[in-house]
Amino acid sequence: MKVNLVSRSGREFIKGGLELNDSATVADLQEAIHKRTKKFYPSRQRLTLPVPSGSRERPVVLNYKKSLKDYCEGNENSLTVVFKDLGPQVSYRTLFFFEYLGPLILYPVFYYFPVYKFFGYEGFTHPVHHPVQTYALYYWCFHYFKRILETFFVHRFSHATSPLSNVFRNCAYYWTFGLYIAYYVNHPLYTPVGDLQMKIGFGFGLVCQLANFYCHIILKNLRGPDGSGGYQIPRGFLFNIVTCANYTTEIYQWLGFNIATQTVAGYVFLVVATSIMTNWALTKHRRLKKLFDGKDGRPKYPRRWVILPPFL
Amino acid sequence: MASALTVLRRLYLSIYNWTVFIGWFQVLFLALKTLKESGHENVYNAVEKPLLLAQSAAVLEILHGLIGLVRSPVSSTLPQIGSRLYLTWGILWSFPEIRTHVLVTSLVISWAITEIIRYSFFGMKEAFGFAPSWHLWLRYSTFLVLYPTGITSEVGLIYFSLPYIKASEKYCIRMPNKWNFSFDNFYAAILTLGIYVPGSPHMYRYMLGQRKRALSKSKKE
Repeated sequence: MKVNLVSRSGREFIKGGLELNDSATVADLQEAIHKRTKKFYPSRQRLTLPVPSGSRERPVVLNYKKSLKDYCEGNENSLTVVFKDLGPQVSYRTLFFFEYLGPLILYPVFYYFPVYKFFGYEGFTHPVHHPVQTYALYYWCFHYFKRILETFFVHRFSHATSPLSNVFRNCAYYWTFGLYIAYYVNHPLYTPVGDLQMKIGFGFGLVCQLANFYCHIILKNLRGPDGSGGYQIPRGFLFNIVTCANYTTEIYQWLGFNIATQTVAGYVFLVVATSIMTNWALTKHRRLKKLFDGKDGRPKYPRRWVILPPFL
Repeated sequence: MASALTVLRRLYLSIYNWTVFIGWFQVLFLALKTLKESGHENVYNAVEKPLLLAQSAAVLEILHGLIGLVRSPVSSTLPQIGSRLYLTWGILWSFPEIRTHVLVTSLVISWAITEIIRYSFFGMKEAFGFAPSWHLWLRYSTFLVLYPTGITSEVGLIYFSLPYIKASEKYCIRMPNKWNFSFDNFYAAILTLGIYVPGSPHMYRYMLGQRKRALSKSKKE
């Protein structure tokens, strides 16, 4: 069959179109485009069906597993597909690895090395630490080490890749906040909180981190090893009460860290991270409610908190 | 059919815009008068009261955007108002040593002309429902000159205040304290200067885009 490839402005993207097998899949089409254009590898391609001009509908994105025939109207043996370049892509694993590596490596630098003399604190050459600062180091590094392990062994991503520009944006976010918090918690003039408060903070945080890990396991089991399965209703454990229990436990875990370490920097990070995750949670909750509307044999999405009972 | 709320909204916004217009008119008038009569060193003292009032009133505009009284997105008004308030209160009001600098005059005049045009433009639209095309043209053209002069003045004043900021320790918070927090005004000022580097071309380009939209739209009408 013949596939006509156009850009979003309507211009013919590949002159003369492409000739493919009648039984070809979208994945085959992606391969053919890649072969022809060299530059646009499959994960960089966004292929959609044309939307009538003026229509406000969202375009149908071609699923790489389906056969092209499924998208053909009626008996036609040709198809017009709209192409968009998503820009250079990196795998999510690469992205996550680098954004978490920064905090994991940079924080201990402030603990072990006499960096504060560069901030004007001469004389603090041999860092002496309160117990809470040592526990904070272990807690922090455990957290980011856990995240990296989950990235490689637990998470199953629905999209294989993310735009390259996100590497810079995300690393800036994690690394800057990592440095900001590390500076204050390991400061030579750091003022620790009381012993009980510290224990409550770290204890609570640790429990939440374990709960968060379990949430990730549950989410992993919703999908096949290749990321297939799309969107499912998460069930069990905290997911029965709240849609994004994984974000909830993550937020509370940072709260635990802050209760124990008590820095403005840490709390600022908590507020920013919470607002970002809340945004994601709202999107996910809405998507699941829309997808699982109870019609056509689909289950109806149960009533649940979005992310932070009793507020949202 | 104008509902009572629409009328109230227009009344409020008319009063707001024309009041602040008068404030900025005073600023410009006093600035030019003082410049002529004594010199640039005395300009700040002459305009201080109306300047502080008119500039601070702009905070209401964030509120207006948030509650939907006006259509302007909060995202573009926030950096603009932020830099204005920082200069007005954070630099000029806080560090008197800088008040006699000549850049204060260029700053105040750039701001005043821009605001006079802007507030009267909105005042006209809210009160009378229209604004003449020359007014629209002024609103979307004077920035071409006044943004560079204004931004240069802002950056210059922050830069020349740096020694005073460092010496005075004003607004600085030092360790140790219960919340393990610190704030160094000197480095914050340097960081602010840094923000102007990408921020200024961004704002200028944004206004160029606005100009294109506004002036082409009026041609079509």
